[in-house]
Order: sequence, then structure tokens, then C-alpha cells
Amino acid sequence: MGRYDSGGGRDAGRPKKQFKRKFLFRKKKFCKFCDEKIKFIDYKDIRLLQGFVPERAKIFPRRISGTCSKHQRKVMQAIKRARALALVPFTSD
Amino acid sequence: MLQYETIFVTDPNLSDGEIDELVQLIDQLTVAAGGKVIKVERWGKRRLAYTIDHREEGIYVLMTLECPPQHVKEVDRRYRMNDRILRHLTVRVEDESQLGPSPMMKPRPAEREDIPAEQGLMP
Repeated sequence: MGRYDSGGGRDAGRPKKQFKRKFLFRKKKFCKFCDEKIKFIDYKDIRLLQGFVPERAKIFPRRISGTCSKHQRKVMQAIKRARALALVPFTSD
Repeated sequence: MLQYETIFVTDPNLSDGEIDELVQLIDQLTVAAGGKVIKVERWGKRRLAYTIDHREEGIYVLMTLECPPQHVKEVDRRYRMNDRILRHLTVRVEDESQLGPSPMMKPRPAEREDIPAEQGLMP
């Protein structure tokens, strides 16, 4: 019995819900691109890309941003193109 | 005939006339190869994300071309021959939005009052 399990309530016998309770205050991540139905990520759209290269200029990982693999690959491609043109930094001190 | 998008970054000290010459050169080459120029966009002087040959700034020019695939090789060769071109990139047009004005030409969100700057696609 978990710490957050109150016993035989409504959700007794529903393991999925019990698991969910532990993360009660964590928002479900979702892919922003899927949500907004963006199919193409432009390497020229610096404002968008800069959101994916915070301070250290590393590409924002999927596990944190919640972007789906399909879109993460597109973001990656766009950032790499933008880096080649000095639109987005490789590193920043 | 395919659509390509080509960007080059030049020395910030080039004059407008010299930039025009470069644009014209690409234009002439493209027409000679049986293609045409769809769009030319001058972004002007921009700060580089990192220094290139001790230069902090560069002049960006974007061109959209419709040309045979072999022509890209020739354009790239010309770019490499010109040492005043710091960086260049030619890619296929993947999306129709690339044929219109690029995001670079849109007003900055900070200047628009209806959308606060933080409300981008920031994760």
C-alpha cells in the first residue's frame, strides 16, 4: 500500500490511478508542435528555435520539453541548419 | 525543376552595390541554367551567434530559386570561390510557407501588443 493510497475507495483495484496519484501535481507533457499542428519547422524561425537552445545553447531534450520524436528530429535538423549560418549559437560561455 | 532556398552570409563591410552584384550573379547563373529566381530577401546586417574570422556581424541574403538540381552544385561552387561569403546553405523547399516571407521578416513579438513575448512556443 502506497503512502497516498487511502485504502478501499472508489479507485481500489485500479493500479493505473494509484500510479497517477504519486504524480498528482505534475502536468502531463505534450508535444507543442503536435498540439498546434505544425508540420514544418523552419530553421529561419530563430525566435522559435531559441526556445530550444537555452543558456548553454544545448538542444532542449525531449524528456524535458515533451516534444514527440517526430518533431524533435525536425527541431534538431532546424537548429543544426541555423547553427551553420550563425543564427543560433553552438555554445555560449 | 526543383525549388531551392539558398542563404549566404557575407562580410559586413560589403556595400549595398556589392551585395546587389552577388544577387545578380546568382540570378544570371540561374537563368542561364534554365531556372528562375522566385524570391530575394535581404535581411541586412545581423549579429552573428558566434564570431567568424573575427567578424561579429554579417549581411544575410535569402534567395528562393527554381532550377535543375545540377545548378545547386554550381551555385555552391561560386559561394566557395568567393572569400567574402562567410557562410552559405542551400536546401530544398519543403513547405509552401518557405515561398512566402520568412519568419525573419515578421515583426518581433515584443513590438506587437496583442501577444506577450513569453507566449511563444517555449517549452
